[in-house]
Amino acid sequence: MSETTLTKQKTRRGFGFYLRIYKKILVQDLKSKMSYRADFVISTFGMIMTNLSGFVTFLILFKNFPSINGWDYYHMLFLYGFSLVALTPVQCFFDNNWNLRFQVQSGDFIKYCFRPINVFFYFMSEVFDVKGLGQFAFGIGTLVYAWIHIGIPVTPLVIAKLVLFLLTASLFMIAIMNAAAATCFWIVGSGYVMVIMFRFKDFAKYPSNIFHGVFRILFTFVIPIAFVAYYPSLAILETDNIPVLTWCAPAIGVLFFYLSYKFWMLGVSRYDFTGS
Amino acid sequence: MENAITMKNVCKDFKILNRHEGLKGSIRDLFSRDYKTISAVKDVSLEIKKGEIIGYLGPNGAGKSTTIKMMTGVLEPTSGEIMVNGLVPYKERTKNSERIGVVFGQRSQLWWSLPLIESFKLLRDIYLVPKKDYEDMLELYRSLVDIEPILHKPVRQMSLGQRTLSDILAAFLHNPAIVFLDEPTIGLDVSMKSKIRDLIKGLNQQKGTTVILTTHDMGDVDALCKRIVIIDEGKKIYDNDIEHLKSYFGSYRTLRIRHADDTWEERVIDESKEDVMDVILKKQKEQKIKDIQLQEISTEEVIKKIYEGSSAAKGNSSVVTSDEKKGAAEQ
Amino acid sequence: MNLRRHIALTRAGIMESLQYRLGTAVTLFANLIYLVLVYFLWRAIYDSAGTDVVNGMTFTDTMIYLILATALFNFLEMFVVWDMSRSIQSGKIILDLLKPMKFRSYTFWSYSGSHVVLFTLTFIPTFIVVMIVTHGAIPMGINLLYFVVATVLALIVNFSMEMIVATICLYTESTWGINIVKETIVLLLSGASIPLAFFPETFRKIVGFLPFRAVYDIPLTILLEKNGSDTLEGLLPMFGLQLAWCIILTVTGVLFWNHSVRKITVNGG
Repeated sequence: MSETTLTKQKTRRGFGFYLRIYKKILVQDLKSKMSYRADFVISTFGMIMTNLSGFVTFLILFKNFPSINGWDYYHMLFLYGFSLVALTPVQCFFDNNWNLRFQVQSGDFIKYCFRPINVFFYFMSEVFDVKGLGQFAFGIGTLVYAWIHIGIPVTPLVIAKLVLFLLTASLFMIAIMNAAAATCFWIVGSGYVMVIMFRFKDFAKYPSNIFHGVFRILFTFVIPIAFVAYYPSLAILETDNIPVLTWCAPAIGVLFFYLSYKFWMLGVSRYDFTGS
Repeated sequence: MENAITMKNVCKDFKILNRHEGLKGSIRDLFSRDYKTISAVKDVSLEIKKGEIIGYLGPNGAGKSTTIKMMTGVLEPTSGEIMVNGLVPYKERTKNSERIGVVFGQRSQLWWSLPLIESFKLLRDIYLVPKKDYEDMLELYRSLVDIEPILHKPVRQMSLGQRTLSDILAAFLHNPAIVFLDEPTIGLDVSMKSKIRDLIKGLNQQKGTTVILTTHDMGDVDALCKRIVIIDEGKKIYDNDIEHLKSYFGSYRTLRIRHADDTWEERVIDESKEDVMDVILKKQKEQKIKDIQLQEISTEEVIKKIYEGSSAAKGNSSVVTSDEKKGAAEQ
Repeated sequence: MNLRRHIALTRAGIMESLQYRLGTAVTLFANLIYLVLVYFLWRAIYDSAGTDVVNGMTFTDTMIYLILATALFNFLEMFVVWDMSRSIQSGKIILDLLKPMKFRSYTFWSYSGSHVVLFTLTFIPTFIVVMIVTHGAIPMGINLLYFVVATVLALIVNFSMEMIVATICLYTESTWGINIVKETIVLLLSGASIPLAFFPETFRKIVGFLPFRAVYDIPLTILLEKNGSDTLEGLLPMFGLQLAWCIILTVTGVLFWNHSVRKITVNGG
């Protein structure tokens, strides 16, 4: 009897299992967060401030310069909103990456290695960042506003494309942050890498045809910020003339995510769990 | 009886950068490729039977934690073989972790902001513990220790003792074959210590769980362990039961003398070298003695002797051997 | 004031920063890439504008300003707020308070070492590269000396702001929220992300009186000899503003800290 349940249990730890566990952790986490209302209010305020400040920067820029590389105000705004929405998953679900280096340095990271579940999943599941939802709302608002002014038709096909390419775009930012965070397994004091990579996201909202030569390749295939908004959004903004890279973006996104995950896990296996 | 853990000639080396002293040294280190290899664990062989409670002792930085990390599969040995529950831990870490429980130092592995019972429920789901087994285990917990006051308290609000207790309970929840406890009573008060010892003993007896216990507290050893293993500078220097340990230093006695001013003087005497009566007579000539006690040497004293003996044997070679020292060097 | 003690802290800080050699190298490299991004963005912006000078700033001016602002940002960045919140949570704060030195100066001098390292490793190389690439667009004269003075004042203003924000952590656990608000405001209003020259007139006037400007805008304006800072009449108001904020923020910070610490000791944390 116990033999059969054991074998059954083995097969049960699939995608559904992880989804269920995540949901449970999430519900509990939200419950406990509710008890820290001051923190919630201040953090939300902070999130709104960052978005507002980003928006003000954007407005100031366009007050001085009417267009950038042939992109007018509303198209740029669309790109901006698109990037904000695409950045939501990394903010909400992968925010614990920011704590990685502290836990690795102090040795506390070891606790994630004693459970019979995926270390990456276990680590990321611990933090769900509610603030990301504020950014999401802000992004959607901007996106819709720009959408109306540009006059893109609303059809089920366009909406489906939007969802697909937003998800695609988010994979790239997740991959960048995973890889940046994982450097701490090898490099002590690599905190700046994450800070700088996170600042790179501010450039995702500009058309990547501003880059030339080697750097266009660099920002497309090495640090793929061109994929965080530019290429995926072309699927919606352009009617014909959609670049090949836009169509390839979903596959490339999955590949980047997978590689960053492997890199992260390689870090875990390399790490020798010293620390005080 | 079957072995829970088998280790054969296990070694673990770490490579660290040779650091130089002073500001100039720091600048030189910036470009240095001068690495040295340190051996945290040297050729350790060990067999642990199912259901045993083993005291795994050694001075700070002896390689205890490194050994446990290898047994739990988070570190791969440089050479040698380890089998835990019939598995090679670092090759099948996930599978291995289903059947072990770990309490590591003072680091809580529970969800910091969740009430304990919610952590338990999550662990139940993660380890796929059948509902009945889970409830039986909670029932067993209730019979061994008063868990009601902590069950609905978030871990972050607990005292150190409650947190340790919670962590131990969480480690046993999925009824693992082996539980590793790394200094579970460190920093706790006397009553909490004895509570935790009773709990460990109870769980070991009821569930037949093998327990590997590292500690610096000889009270833990006396209360729980039949057998102890001592390592120092990465080498196993003692592996036998605790009774044998005392006979190992059987010729030692602790002599306690009460002086006229009611102060007690304590002295460890090696009977093979000097006679207890001679010592007392000599003392009596110097001053008045009101009372005398002659005691068996305590475990604490024996362990101290062993540590001292092993470091004396190596002279003053100051080779860094431990992972803990390495960690310190990195900070 | 025991100078030896302070220098010892600086020295320890330098040694600690140098321990992270790979980290330092990677930081330098990542910074370089960031600057490339800034370059391309503004190149495109100026190309699209059609004119060479916008609001009195040429492309070269803007680039020098932003690149050096980034370099200054990296050099000035402190994690006082994070360190403080972590040491409050771990209880280490009590040990820090027991040190035979005022907590404020202890923190300041502990950071000074990494400031020295970062200034040498990030700011000076960036400065030299910018100097060579722009073929002498940076005036080389007495303004360099003024710039160093302005940077030291900027450092003090920045530290004072950090300390005030860090003190708030004694009241709330919302470190992330507090820190992000501070960072956002400082970055926007100090001219670190967009030169203040581009701001609308009224907005710029208001920002001109706030302390944030003292951190990035004033040292860089002095370095580039803009806004009449090459004359004494132009220079003095800028130094005056920095100095005034140094005093105001230091006094406020000290009072706020002393008040808050007393509260902790009374309430037992």
